[in-house]
Amino acid sequence: MRTEAAKKTNNLPEMLGRNWIALFIVLLVAFFSLVTRAFFSFDTVQLIFFNGTEVFLLAIAELFVIITGGIDLSVGFVMGFATVASSKLMVACVALGLSPFWSILAASAVTLLIGLVPGLVNGWLVAYLRVPAFIATFSMLGVTHGISELLTQGVPTKNLPALAGDIGNGSFMYVAPGGVISFFSRPQVARGQTVLAIIPNMVVLSFLFIFLFAFILGKMKFGRHLYAIGGNIDAAIRSGINVKRDLIKAYVISSLFASLAGLSYVMKYITGKPDAGANMLLEAIAAVVIGGASMAGGSGTVGRTILGALVIAILETGLRIIGMQTFMTYILVGVILILAVIIDQVFPNRNR
Amino acid sequence: MKKRYSAVFAILLILLAIVPVFGQAAKKQLTFLFMPGVQDPFYTTMEKGVRAKCKELGVNLIVAEYPKAWGPEYQVPILQAYAQRGGFDGLLIAPTSVDALKAPLKAIYDKGIEIITVDTFIGDGDYSKPNTDYNFPLSYIGSDNYLGGKMIAEHLAKLVGEKGKVFCEATNPDASSVAARVKGFRDGIAQFPNMKLVGVEWCLDVQQKAQEQTLAALQKDKDIVGIFGTNVFSAQGANQAVVNAGLVGAIKIASWDATITNIENLKKGVIDLVLAQKPGEMGSLGVEWLYKYLTQKVSVPKKVIPGFEFFTKDNVNDPNMQQYIYQ
Repeated sequence: MRTEAAKKTNNLPEMLGRNWIALFIVLLVAFFSLVTRAFFSFDTVQLIFFNGTEVFLLAIAELFVIITGGIDLSVGFVMGFATVASSKLMVACVALGLSPFWSILAASAVTLLIGLVPGLVNGWLVAYLRVPAFIATFSMLGVTHGISELLTQGVPTKNLPALAGDIGNGSFMYVAPGGVISFFSRPQVARGQTVLAIIPNMVVLSFLFIFLFAFILGKMKFGRHLYAIGGNIDAAIRSGINVKRDLIKAYVISSLFASLAGLSYVMKYITGKPDAGANMLLEAIAAVVIGGASMAGGSGTVGRTILGALVIAILETGLRIIGMQTFMTYILVGVILILAVIIDQVFPNRNR
Repeated sequence: MKKRYSAVFAILLILLAIVPVFGQAAKKQLTFLFMPGVQDPFYTTMEKGVRAKCKELGVNLIVAEYPKAWGPEYQVPILQAYAQRGGFDGLLIAPTSVDALKAPLKAIYDKGIEIITVDTFIGDGDYSKPNTDYNFPLSYIGSDNYLGGKMIAEHLAKLVGEKGKVFCEATNPDASSVAARVKGFRDGIAQFPNMKLVGVEWCLDVQQKAQEQTLAALQKDKDIVGIFGTNVFSAQGANQAVVNAGLVGAIKIASWDATITNIENLKKGVIDLVLAQKPGEMGSLGVEWLYKYLTQKVSVPKKVIPGFEFFTKDNVNDPNMQQYIYQ
């Protein structure tokens, strides 16, 4: 199914058309940098990635399902459920006498395991019972939301180990004045001296997963099967692909990434609540579409989805840094979304 | 195509590295950033106090975008973007979580910016304790919420003849101010042997939810005689529930915060008691202490507590009281 679209061409408009999203990001960065000097810095780049982590992860969650021609409406509340489950588990592990480090690790591992369940159910409903993805995942949205509310009783979780916040808000590497390099913990320096923090932990961890699944989608047989299913499900069945099993896998991966987003939220904000990801669903879907995937399935890549999510993240942070109301983001994302679809119709093989 | 991306990325990185940092020229004047907690009349009133004081002292003011809902996931990205933009010497902030704001605020403090928290705090709000991870702000300026809750309980008890069941409609237990109000109210009611607090609900700042929860409480305990709503949204929601249940007059309602709606409801007799905080004064005091610290290095008290005013239908038209209405 994957035609080699990147054949050498000297046709400039077509090249721009296919890469417009990257070009658009360069223009955005140039615009914000011209308006405010403060925008153009390594710290801003890191801030954009740090603030965007959850949306990046949810966008990848959505991508795997959208490639198959489906949609997963439950990712926001699966994420919320993961924030509640993981934070409650952390508190429980600490109460049982585990050290903060092992509590966080154990709670995260268990949460990722439980987090597979909504995906399994979604995938099973879609693949075996032929429930439309919209309905199956919409029901799952309600179920996960309700369970989280029951668990929290309206009270966001608290009293998490302080280490969680240190990890979530810390960076991988620090360079103190004088060139002293340290890892994971910020060196003590006189106040007012700048310590260069390099790559937030949450960004590092998230992109480990994102790269792994970019490889799976782009290079492995399973990835090719997903495109085939989204491109033409009957042809996929005839060619001997185990469509039902692969569909379930796609929804499970979606759930996994939603849970990862939940963990990221908990580590950053040291609390969990049912509606933590409620307003991120539409941003995630928008990122996938801006990244050139078709809602009809069969196309989309991890790299371009990240670029799509990056557009939204740059807009949000950029507008704030230049001191504009972020309500502008809603309008701009809406306009870009329409543009993305129109441009993709003019250059139809941009994203295969 | 991959090559092209890498090339663009590499050029960007090089540019980031070589463009020198301009600005930071001679500072003429102090600049403060005001970071409100959520879009509501309380913080807009506070902004007025901040604005007036800044003007009086010749301080530049940046007002951050108002978060559209209460919570660190809304406030922190806004705060970090303004911190990245920089250009301010002092920060007045109403933190939306006692834990989640510690790390972002510490990062701002480490840059050399002085911080005062207004209305809400981080940690337990006692910045004088040594060896904590939250003792770096100069001061906490806000109401003694516990005392306010207790005083509300006492005033409400008087209105209902010191007997009967009462209910509390609160907002968000993660907000230090609200949790303390509830605790104060609980302890205040406990002073009266013939009174009982039958329930506390949390509406998370959603007025509709407050209305539904109050209605449910009224169905469970039909003989509730008093309700305390702990902030603008929860009080307005509780009011609406009582109006809808046709119980206006039979239930005495105490409300926190002198919003125009609460004051009008008081005039109409829908509610009976309103506690007014002094958000304008909090903002004004915050600016004043930041200014004094940055210009004269005076030592700032770790806790500054403006008092309360109580509105009842007897004094609501008193000209001296009008200044305490949030508008």
